[in-house]
Amino acid sequence: MKKFDYYQPKSLREAYGLMEKQKGEARYIAGGTDIIWRVKQGLIQADALISLRGIEGLDGIRLNGHLTLGSMVLFRTVERSADLARACPSLAQAVSVLANPQVRNIATIGGNLCNGAPSADCAPPLMALEAVLTLEGPGGKREVPIGAFFKGPGETCMDKTEVLTQITIPEMAADSGAVFLKKGRVSQDISIVNAAALLVMEGKVCRKCRLVVGAVAPVPLRLTDVEKMVEGQEVGPELLDRVGNRVEQAVSPITDVRSTEEYRRALSAALVKRAIQQAHRRALKR
Amino acid sequence: MRPGDEGGKHMKRVIEFILNGNGVSAEVASHKMLLEVLRDTFEMTGTKEGCGQGECGACTVMIDGVSINACLYPAFEVEGKSVTTVEGLVGEGGKLHPIQEAFVEKGGIQCGFCSPGMILSAKALLDENPAPNEDEIKRGISGNLCRCTGYVQIVDSIKEAATRLSGQDPA
Repeated sequence: MKKFDYYQPKSLREAYGLMEKQKGEARYIAGGTDIIWRVKQGLIQADALISLRGIEGLDGIRLNGHLTLGSMVLFRTVERSADLARACPSLAQAVSVLANPQVRNIATIGGNLCNGAPSADCAPPLMALEAVLTLEGPGGKREVPIGAFFKGPGETCMDKTEVLTQITIPEMAADSGAVFLKKGRVSQDISIVNAAALLVMEGKVCRKCRLVVGAVAPVPLRLTDVEKMVEGQEVGPELLDRVGNRVEQAVSPITDVRSTEEYRRALSAALVKRAIQQAHRRALKR
Repeated sequence: MRPGDEGGKHMKRVIEFILNGNGVSAEVASHKMLLEVLRDTFEMTGTKEGCGQGECGACTVMIDGVSINACLYPAFEVEGKSVTTVEGLVGEGGKLHPIQEAFVEKGGIQCGFCSPGMILSAKALLDENPAPNEDEIKRGISGNLCRCTGYVQIVDSIKEAATRLSGQDPA
């Protein structure tokens, strides 16, 4: 195992100080379920890891209209919260199919996002809901819409000293439905393709549509062109066919150990269509 | 910063925690994971290394009653916490825990390599949900791989364990 120093600051200020002092490669670490194994594999270099676990105030959950999640909220907490399942069903769905129980017991929402994986399961539901991320660093605090957060595979807009502290999710409108779907080879798998949909209905017509598909582009992909096809329309088979074709053109999947480009392209279309149908049904029930 | 946190590649600290009910301490290097400390320092070799990536569950232990993969758990983080390994399930005079007895009875153990982790995941499941249905059992062990049994006997063992535990007086 590669050697690294491991620090456990008690405050953000202490964490920034430690990060600024490091001469080698240093990273913040939350649950560590991604970083630790990547260090073991030699995929990333770390001379020092600065743990965020001991910092107070990063794991709170507040629900008053909009939902505020601390970045260190555990998947374990999300999957056991009936309030969160009601307020944010698509995020609850994503968390429930992520990894396995042991990993969910220590992994965090913030860590999943900061990893910057195109396949990050928390990304599509939060992007469809247009969540806002709070980043804090020695220079101060800033709010970043999640759509601007992901820059490339493994890359985010954060600078090295910044910590993601909070995720704010706007309240879901009445007559809206949000869904997350994932396809993996087996239950604990990283997504071959994942997708999230949010539909806000006005009678039979879709007033607002947000669609995101993951693992098929360098970043989790917001499908703005496809959204415009759905908005103002009734959801029906003819629309969904057109949606499917457009999705296939919009994605740029690769072939890797988990799946092929061709399968991912076809699957993107299928999952987005299915997500729209299910979000539509959910919207009608609210 | 604490004594021993001098930085560089030789950062070490004495950590103190509870292991199977006993207060223990050890000096560990900053890059060590809990798995290595349990096996090498404390000779709790029931906990196994399978994949080292948090996918096979052979290294499953409980920390403060919650199941985790020890292969990915930095040893420094266990300070002040209570760890349960499979050895900790065994009672006075070597009496097996009801979950262990159920696995023996129902053929849930073949080579035995996945068993410690599987049994701890079963314990975590049953502690929270004493009467799980089959889907809940499968979900509860979805982080534990077995190459021998095909899982059928393991699911049966957990059903049997649930029955045995529900017949006991509450602890």
